[in-house]
Amino acid sequence: TVREALMAIPLSGVRVLFVGSLVALLIWVSALILQIIVYSFL
Amino acid sequence: MLLAANNHLTSPDYIVIFIYLAITIGIGIAIGRRVKTGSDFFLGGRRLPWWAIGMSLVATDIGGTDIIGVGGAAYSHGLAVANFEWIGCIPAMIVGAFIFIPFFYRTGVYTIPEYLERRYNAGVRTVMAVCWLLFMACNLGIMLLASAKMMSEVFGWNQPVCILVTAVLVGVYTCVGGLAAVVYTDMIQCTVMIAGCLLVLVLGIMEVGGIDELKARLAEAEARQTAAAVEVAKAESPPNEVSSETNSKANSDRPLEHTSLILPADTKSPFPWPGIFFGLALILSPAYWIGNQAIVQRSLGAKSDFEAKASYIWGAVLKNIIPIIVAVPGLIALALLPDLESGDVAIPALVNKLLPVGIRGLFVAAFLAALMSSVDSYLNSAATIVSNDFYKRFIDKDVSEERLLTVGRVTTMALVVWAVIFAFLLTLMNEKSGVYAIFQTLMAFFQGPAFAVLLFGFLWKRATGTAAFIALLCGIATSISLYTLNQEVIYTLIGWEPLFRVEEPFLYFSVWAFLVTATLIVIISFVTPADSEEKLKYVYHRAKRTNEFENAVKGAAV
Repeated sequence: TVREALMAIPLSGVRVLFVGSLVALLIWVSALILQIIVYSFL
Repeated sequence: MLLAANNHLTSPDYIVIFIYLAITIGIGIAIGRRVKTGSDFFLGGRRLPWWAIGMSLVATDIGGTDIIGVGGAAYSHGLAVANFEWIGCIPAMIVGAFIFIPFFYRTGVYTIPEYLERRYNAGVRTVMAVCWLLFMACNLGIMLLASAKMMSEVFGWNQPVCILVTAVLVGVYTCVGGLAAVVYTDMIQCTVMIAGCLLVLVLGIMEVGGIDELKARLAEAEARQTAAAVEVAKAESPPNEVSSETNSKANSDRPLEHTSLILPADTKSPFPWPGIFFGLALILSPAYWIGNQAIVQRSLGAKSDFEAKASYIWGAVLKNIIPIIVAVPGLIALALLPDLESGDVAIPALVNKLLPVGIRGLFVAAFLAALMSSVDSYLNSAATIVSNDFYKRFIDKDVSEERLLTVGRVTTMALVVWAVIFAFLLTLMNEKSGVYAIFQTLMAFFQGPAFAVLLFGFLWKRATGTAAFIALLCGIATSISLYTLNQEVIYTLIGWEPLFRVEEPFLYFSVWAFLVTATLIVIISFVTPADSEEKLKYVYHRAKRTNEFENAVKGAAV
């Protein structure tokens, strides 16, 4: 069940999840901008 | 021997290695003259500067096998291995810097298990101390053996001699100088490590012909690999039964795995995105950077809680460059040497191709720096746990600072002897027996449950000592059960399918063990009496509201 749910998420959505988490952490807190750049393009 | 015949070192190489070792050990022993008390030995007298601690954090995290192993993993599986240094480190280090580390610093504890007793009870402290000591003691032997194997295969050096010499060299300065020697030598080792790896990276990119050429060659290499995988799958399976992943890789617009950080959930590599995000970034990484004694201890030796914060932030900034200098050389090796038998030989082969005789010594020094900076940290932290969580807690509660220093030094020497014996015992075991693999995944068994216990104790005042103790044991049992049920011998015997489909599902063990532990803490806490006010001083929000530990900091600063 978990595997099927995760497979349903497109990779573009996953990238939004990764980058969005880093942006949220940056707003909470600026190492993080380099990470946001890396995960936006690689 | 993989490359020993070609990778021979010359006199200039050995001079570079000798200079590095002499400076490292000289500094370690010189610092030892200032060590007079237990506090000096275990926390550097709380005089350590943030910039040295930050570099020490990075050096400790990168072991000898990582220098070659991460590049090898990048050769085999692509850039996704960099997740372990990027999203698997930096966010947790930043959260740790602003929330957890300054709080631990202000409470004045020496070890994380000591904090857990103040927050919960002696049972939780003892279980955690046993887990960490078991892991560190085994890990010392594994690090010595794995690195000695590499030195033997790559440089043709004698394996038992490598184990003994490394253990003695690290043991001497760690035993004499304690945490201060570890931190200042780690700082040198971090510099040497970055210099050696940077040299390989720059020469590699020049050899390939630039970044664009590297990308083009990686695309070619991956296309060849995919075509070969489809051919093999077709040969082994009846028509129309080639695996969906192999087909989709060949036909669809899936990203090139070797240059992608985020891999699909059904990738065959050990780094699918759910494991990276939920297992690594949310659980294993915070557990490591907030709950690992070997990591946290050096920040507890900072001059102030501000310097403790700054050390983690500086470490996080440095962490941004580590995958570039450690993982990218693996991709360069794939572009230049696409037909190697395995990823394990990628970096040695690349060094052999790129570095002229006389400069290889710098890479060997980088390898030794990475190895020694990890061994010395685990040695010092294991000695701290034995001295503070066992000797001072159960044998002599009123031990003097001078006596504690002696206990720390004797324990360090005993651990060196143990590490050497354990490394030799491991060499007698057949790697295929699985015993070696169990020791390598030891940390994954208890880090998820340990983090759940630490997190709930830190943030939730209703979490009770009884709940934490029971949940911790059940969480560890969950990890071990999942590992056991995923072994081919076991699931075949009971007629099951494997529980996990990725090659090495340790990231998933930690997720499930964390969830089981967290659920049990919540349920059992509601059916057991709340802890006393004394315990609740160690809950973050409560302490923050009452300024519980602020006076202690001001007092320490005077």
